[in-house]
Amino acid sequence: MVIRMSYSRVVEQSDQAIRELTEAGEQILGYIYPHFPLEIAMAHGLLPSLVRTSPSAGGGYESSLQTFACSLTRNIFSQRASGHLTTFSGIVFSGNTCDSLQNVGEVWRKRFPDDKTFRLTYPAAIPSESSVTFLAEELRKFSVAIDSEFKMPFSEELFKDAVALISEIRESLQMLYAARVLSPKLLEYSTLSSLITGFLTAPTTSVLDNVLEIRSSTMEDLEMQVDRDLVSELQNAFLRKDLMDIGKFDESISIRLLLVGGMIETNALSEFLKSVPNFSEDMIILDLLSYGFKTAFTPSISLVGDPFENSARAILGSLGEPTQEGLSDRVRFLKEILSKLSINGLIICEQSFCDPDEFEAPSLARAAEDLQVPSVRLPIDPELSDRVRLEGRIQTFLETLM
Amino acid sequence: MIAVTEQKKEKAYRLLKSSALLQQIMFRYMMEGQIASEEGNLAWVTSGFPVEIPVAMNIGISYPEQYGAVVGSQRMGPELCGFAEGLGYSQELCSYARSSIGSVKHPDQSPLGGLPTPQALLACNNICGTVLRWYDTVSELTGAPVFLLDTPPLEGEQPEHHRDYVRKGLDKLVDFLEQVFGKPLADERMQEVALYSTEAVGLWTQCLEACKAKPSPLNCADRFLTMAPIVSLRGTDYVKDFYVSLLAEVKERISNGVGAIKEEKIRLLWDNIPPWFTIFRFFNGLAKRGVVFPADTYTHAWTGSIEGDNLFDSVVSIYSNVYLNKGLDAKIDKMCQLIQNYDLDGFIMFSVRSCKRYSLGQLVSKELVTERTGVPGVVIEGDMVDSRLFNEAQIQMRVDALLEMFA
Repeated sequence: MVIRMSYSRVVEQSDQAIRELTEAGEQILGYIYPHFPLEIAMAHGLLPSLVRTSPSAGGGYESSLQTFACSLTRNIFSQRASGHLTTFSGIVFSGNTCDSLQNVGEVWRKRFPDDKTFRLTYPAAIPSESSVTFLAEELRKFSVAIDSEFKMPFSEELFKDAVALISEIRESLQMLYAARVLSPKLLEYSTLSSLITGFLTAPTTSVLDNVLEIRSSTMEDLEMQVDRDLVSELQNAFLRKDLMDIGKFDESISIRLLLVGGMIETNALSEFLKSVPNFSEDMIILDLLSYGFKTAFTPSISLVGDPFENSARAILGSLGEPTQEGLSDRVRFLKEILSKLSINGLIICEQSFCDPDEFEAPSLARAAEDLQVPSVRLPIDPELSDRVRLEGRIQTFLETLM
Repeated sequence: MIAVTEQKKEKAYRLLKSSALLQQIMFRYMMEGQIASEEGNLAWVTSGFPVEIPVAMNIGISYPEQYGAVVGSQRMGPELCGFAEGLGYSQELCSYARSSIGSVKHPDQSPLGGLPTPQALLACNNICGTVLRWYDTVSELTGAPVFLLDTPPLEGEQPEHHRDYVRKGLDKLVDFLEQVFGKPLADERMQEVALYSTEAVGLWTQCLEACKAKPSPLNCADRFLTMAPIVSLRGTDYVKDFYVSLLAEVKERISNGVGAIKEEKIRLLWDNIPPWFTIFRFFNGLAKRGVVFPADTYTHAWTGSIEGDNLFDSVVSIYSNVYLNKGLDAKIDKMCQLIQNYDLDGFIMFSVRSCKRYSLGQLVSKELVTERTGVPGVVIEGDMVDSRLFNEAQIQMRVDALLEMFA
């Protein structure tokens, strides 16, 4: 049984989990951009953990960042300026993903010079052999930097263990995502979100155990309703980013919602949505969020060949971000999902002051409009400072779908 | 009586004679863009794009960022940005992008009837990540395909794998342009274009460096206007004529002891894009108080020369190493160098809400630049095109506070 928690409680618990792991001797490497090479960090004996935004973060960024820095970076910076995030042994900032994140990484170095910070630069162009080669070299450089900073060399054995662990967690999450599409009532979205939160907090064997337990019970229930092969078929279609061969799903549930957007935590979103009158979790058929679907549907790393190249290939194999080239592909995939999964409502989440999210949102809304699927845009910040108005917006949106 | 009238008419700032030639050249640039579009031969490019390559392939070029400056200076920003906001683009987004999207949607309500319709959109993310998303939007509206030349930001020296990656991007660019426009790239023509570009950049650099003189022969607004050909016409044969003329005028001013402003008292550095809608009012207002800006970080961005045995390698190096593609340390170093080399008394940093790449980091840079150079600075906040985001009274108050330090 998974216990339901509020998002602040989830944050508190994940902080606690990190503290306990630190006390147990683990060195925690924080990351912000979702497509992080978890397995490489673990091959160095470090435990990767998402640097989580805090709904209660007060100010603290004002003397270092302007108000138009994205709300996610302001929140994280404020936490650090207020003396938090001390459990991290180091923090990795991404380069070439968005201008805010990159610049904030540099400001961080100036303001907190004793912190161990790293930059991992990603290619923004459509994945190709040259972008795989580029990212592979960046990962190699990153690995050397970790070794140099922590005196913890890359271990092939640890890498293999990490690949096995991460792959199993991801594959299970993928299966749960696919199962929920087939039967959303089988597994609450908040439960799936909690599993993802656990994975993002620390990809450990206990997280795997938790995921496997839920997977097992969900699949048992599912098998009573539908053919198990359908789950695999859908899972593979999501991994291929191609739903052309998938048949159209039934419309037995009157409201079928898809959540899209950028770096917004599924747990924060599900907790917020649950507070909206007339909302029910089984309305959510799927999300395409960075810290949700895109985290889960990253292909497994091959163990044959160069670990850095294979890691790069896996990272670039996941569904693209609004920070990358390939808008038309993302729109095409969105349309396939809207159409094949009989989605009749699209919720587009945008991190406040996030250029990539705010640029992509109108294209996503137009794609939905083309298919006559109503959509609503939610400008969100980690503090949910506009919560009442957002609730009203969702409530009105749901009423239009009923 | 006549003498008194003439004395009254003498302004605090001096107009450039070369402005007339500048207008002619920019008119030609616009006409060429129009013709290229009608012939199905026009690409829009970002300001940091290696334009020499499409130019060498005889493809016409238009610059949306420069058009944004036109929109701003004609005070059409709020209206055109509003059109984009009507399409769902947040007011928090870049106003160059918003005004451009607005003008594509409503060319009839835009200055000059909007930019001519493109057949391709060439974005290089060495100036910011926004350009890709902006061009993606224009692509949705016009159907023109987007090409991204990905130049990942640098930390210090450019590693070999970065060079290789960008180099492969250039090869893909040539393939893309050949496919879209059906024109090949000839080596001789590339060499010719590179030479034109290098000569123009060389002359422009001399104009900039001449501002070390006291009084400075050019003020900020002068440079922001006269940089137009170096931004939009690099690689063409006729751009050189303009910079020969400008350099001659600059030298003449220096030899006659004539400055850009009537009475130079305070020399400041300007950081970032200017507020185009009030560029003359802002800088000329300060000129009346004896403030001149002999240097800025923006117009100094176009200084690299394409030369050597392998021109594409040179292109990789120049366009990866542009000011905005380097880290905060490089920006701080550049500001300190300019302050020292141009003997400046202080600096104004314009925190442009539209431009995160340029602006985030300024609060820290301000402290570090002052610490290293000993000169004071101030950060003012606003926007370059969208005048709704510009609080003149507040800005004036901050600038006054800086100027009081020199009293």
